[in-house]
Amino acid sequence: MPTRKLCQCGVSRRDMLRIGAGGLGFGLFGGIGPVPHVFSRASEVAAAAESGKILVVFEWFGGNDGLNTIVPYGDAMYYKHRPTIGIRDKSVLKIDEHFGWHKSMAGMKNLYDEGKVAIVQGVGYDQPSFSHFTSMSFWHTAAPNSGNEYGWIGRTASALDPAGARANMIVNISDSQSLAVKAEKHVPLVFSEPDKFQRGVFAQEKPVIEVLAAQPHAVSDAHKYLLDVTKSAAQASELVRTAWSHYRSKQNADLRLLDLDKVVALIEADFPTKLYYVPLRGSLFDTHVNQAAPHDRQLEYCSDAIAGFCQEMKRIGRENDVVLYVHSEFGRRVPENTSLGTDHGTAQVNFVVGRPVKGGMYGTPPSLTNLVLDGNLENTTDFRRVYATVIEEWMGADSARVLGQSFKTLGMFRA
Amino acid sequence: MADRMRWSPGPGAWRDDLSPISAADWNYDRAAHLLAHAGFGGTPDEIEALAHMGMERAVRTLVHYESIPNPGMQPFVESGLWDPSLNAFPESRPEATDRALKTGTAMGVDSKPAGKRPVQPVSDRFFYWLRATMLETRRLGYWWANRMLQTTHPLEEKMALLWHGHFATHENKVRDYRKMLQQIDLFEKGGTGNLRDLTLRVAQNPAMLYFLDAQYNVKGAANENFAREVMELFTMGVGHYTEKDVREGARAFTGWYFDDLAFKVNADKHDGGAKTFLGRTGNFDGVDALTIIFEQPVTAEFLAGKIYRFLVRDELSPELRTKLGAILRDGKYEVKPLLTTIFSSRDFYSQASYGAHIKGPVEHMVAMMKHLGVDAIPGVPDFNQSTIAMGQHLLNPPSVAGWAGGKAWITPGLLIARGNVARDVLIPDMTGFRDWNFTAGSDDLLGRRLRDGYDIGAATAVSDPAAMSTFDRVALERDEQFNTRISGYVGWEQAARKLIPTPRHAAQFDLTRMVMDSGAATAGEAVDYLLWRMLRVPASPHVRDRFVAFLTSELGTESIDRGKSYLEDPLRLTAHLIMSTPEYQIV
Repeated sequence: MPTRKLCQCGVSRRDMLRIGAGGLGFGLFGGIGPVPHVFSRASEVAAAAESGKILVVFEWFGGNDGLNTIVPYGDAMYYKHRPTIGIRDKSVLKIDEHFGWHKSMAGMKNLYDEGKVAIVQGVGYDQPSFSHFTSMSFWHTAAPNSGNEYGWIGRTASALDPAGARANMIVNISDSQSLAVKAEKHVPLVFSEPDKFQRGVFAQEKPVIEVLAAQPHAVSDAHKYLLDVTKSAAQASELVRTAWSHYRSKQNADLRLLDLDKVVALIEADFPTKLYYVPLRGSLFDTHVNQAAPHDRQLEYCSDAIAGFCQEMKRIGRENDVVLYVHSEFGRRVPENTSLGTDHGTAQVNFVVGRPVKGGMYGTPPSLTNLVLDGNLENTTDFRRVYATVIEEWMGADSARVLGQSFKTLGMFRA
Repeated sequence: MADRMRWSPGPGAWRDDLSPISAADWNYDRAAHLLAHAGFGGTPDEIEALAHMGMERAVRTLVHYESIPNPGMQPFVESGLWDPSLNAFPESRPEATDRALKTGTAMGVDSKPAGKRPVQPVSDRFFYWLRATMLETRRLGYWWANRMLQTTHPLEEKMALLWHGHFATHENKVRDYRKMLQQIDLFEKGGTGNLRDLTLRVAQNPAMLYFLDAQYNVKGAANENFAREVMELFTMGVGHYTEKDVREGARAFTGWYFDDLAFKVNADKHDGGAKTFLGRTGNFDGVDALTIIFEQPVTAEFLAGKIYRFLVRDELSPELRTKLGAILRDGKYEVKPLLTTIFSSRDFYSQASYGAHIKGPVEHMVAMMKHLGVDAIPGVPDFNQSTIAMGQHLLNPPSVAGWAGGKAWITPGLLIARGNVARDVLIPDMTGFRDWNFTAGSDDLLGRRLRDGYDIGAATAVSDPAAMSTFDRVALERDEQFNTRISGYVGWEQAARKLIPTPRHAAQFDLTRMVMDSGAATAGEAVDYLLWRMLRVPASPHVRDRFVAFLTSELGTESIDRGKSYLEDPLRLTAHLIMSTPEYQIV
């Protein structure tokens, strides 16, 4: 793929013109005039925000069973704990003598073989919560057994762009805003259905609705913020819907991308977004009962979606710029339960995927013999180490500033 | 009128000055500012009454409200969904069905002795209560919102809303609307009293004890969740205590638990040994721990800052926070002296405090009713669906940290939702409305299939797996002792049979009369009247002119008198535009 000529904000002139020619709002891309005053502070955008690098977080809510995802088929204890629902060694997609991918994950296995997947084992935190909601709020805020008004993605945006000058820095594909993306200065662009992301107005109101932000004097910081959002909402909703319809018109029907398809659409339209947050909808990961069928299917869907996403990044020439990170809120208990399922647990497996990633295994696989907390895996890698790795090694931001303390990164990216 | 319409923030130099404004500084606009912050805004008559009283009496009326009759407050009428067999409700469906598989019964329902899906009644029972308490909690939120609208003590409700977000628990985990009701009552009765007492009562509140896993905090196996949140989120803030304080504090709280709606202490599970907590050593229990926490200077500052940011503005200088903390501490944590100081102060009426507060969605919804002269929150649109769309689900804050508030209330999508909700209130979709409480959510289709004679397997199956919901997929594969997919639907149906329906009326208001009574003769005067009535921050002249042009065009004339027989809908559309402005979102 030839290197594309990028202007300083990471948007090619050609694409700017293409978007502009669509009759869309101008000025979402700092530094290219004419821009409304709110977006005209490109000089304040930190250098880190100017790279073409993008992080996509794909959140697998529900509590994914890491042991039946990266299967320790070489460990007899695994089958002892999981006599019925353990994945048979014959069907495992083998990585080495000890571990293999779940049989449904051919898509990710292929990516792994190409050296594009980092597997991180034993990821968790001390004094784990077994509540989906509580534990996920710890992951969202990167504040285990604590809290924070802002999410880790929101704080990463602040570290990349302290002035909050870059519009649409964060996109959250969701019905409601995730705590992970709540930010002090940035306004996350939150939507799930591009077609519904619009004002409900009667025809005769339309011309007037468009001038609502025409207010030269803000009386307060809050007022200024509202004027900014009013402008960006109108522009962003139209941009999103246009990017989406453009993408849909040529979408490869064989790719099942789940909600990652919206991310592809926006990246292809050269959105200025650096951080995408995509929670899995309709998750099947909470596998308390008869785990096999739903878990097989959910892993297949997710694995296929990630493989398809990487294929799309290659097609649009952005595979060197985009990294995808997968986590859940916890893993599951090691011994299977009496309902052929597994209950809420502790440490989990994470994935970091993309061409810039040095593929392989990271973290210490927890012992299946020395279980903790009544049949659970020991946490061997604090999840904030993985966060620090993607924040610092990939996005180039100061992870200690985002996380409130220093965590050793995992050395996961190609130089 | 001309005088009433003058927007009059005080000088910028008043910022951070807590000395009271003088009698000469009091006027209609400042009374409107006061009511917008100490309550949910008001009608011109309500504001006029406060303006007439003078500042001191106006503030006293709002803060010392106890003697003011409040005849509109009705108790919550329960649908009768709960019975004692639901006490100690299982924490999960597997726990419920396992209990039945082991003992033959759970939640007052037996397994069948023989036949297909023998545990189905128990599974149904579990989902019945999940749906029942979820639906009743929605009624509870709607009832509470009406109290906010109808009360003669607006500050009482405003403070209750603050404490609900501060001492945050959500029904989604608590799973008992009765405990949530108990909490609303606690926040209403104690929200402007003594903060040490309030915190103690919150710490002994069953919803909170359950929410923070107090029942797992026992001698020899302290659970730190509760002690940590009490210090970090409720009283001191992070950085003012050590991890050792958390561990020692947890020991002090051991043995606290609840039985149904009552607080209990289990002396056998209480760790009576010596603890060193925040620099003090003794055989402390939970009450002692809270007493010590309230001796910390930072506690008063933390709480005073929280109150100020909720009521006045987000930006708060450290100096002002210190001053406010001193007032709270000197008043021995009585809230009223602090509220009186804030609402009387030059700081509160300074430019810095005008238009600096973004209304939360519930506050916004109630204020909208005030502006329209509505005296009951409508059933169409649905109150809960509306505030959820705008980012606030009453009685279901997103986490123990509550709602972030401030700018977090506004995203592009949430701002658009505010405009859409305003439209649904002003021009309700009466013929297209479907009552969410009676839709069984995603299980709706399943119910229709069962009624059409499909058996359970066929009813839960669909031809296109890609289009299947979560429950569909799981249910298809299940070896059936029971079918949770069916239970989800049956539970909703059983709850809905008992659930008191929410009235589904449109908001009752008459903008025509309002505008005619204002004496407006032209479209320009009508727009100016509506802007004045609804906005606390003036719209720009350009936007105002566009609204006038819009109304003129809708009426086909500039003359209100000429258009008076068909004024209502054009005025409603104009109000929709006003409520969609950035200025409408702030006070």
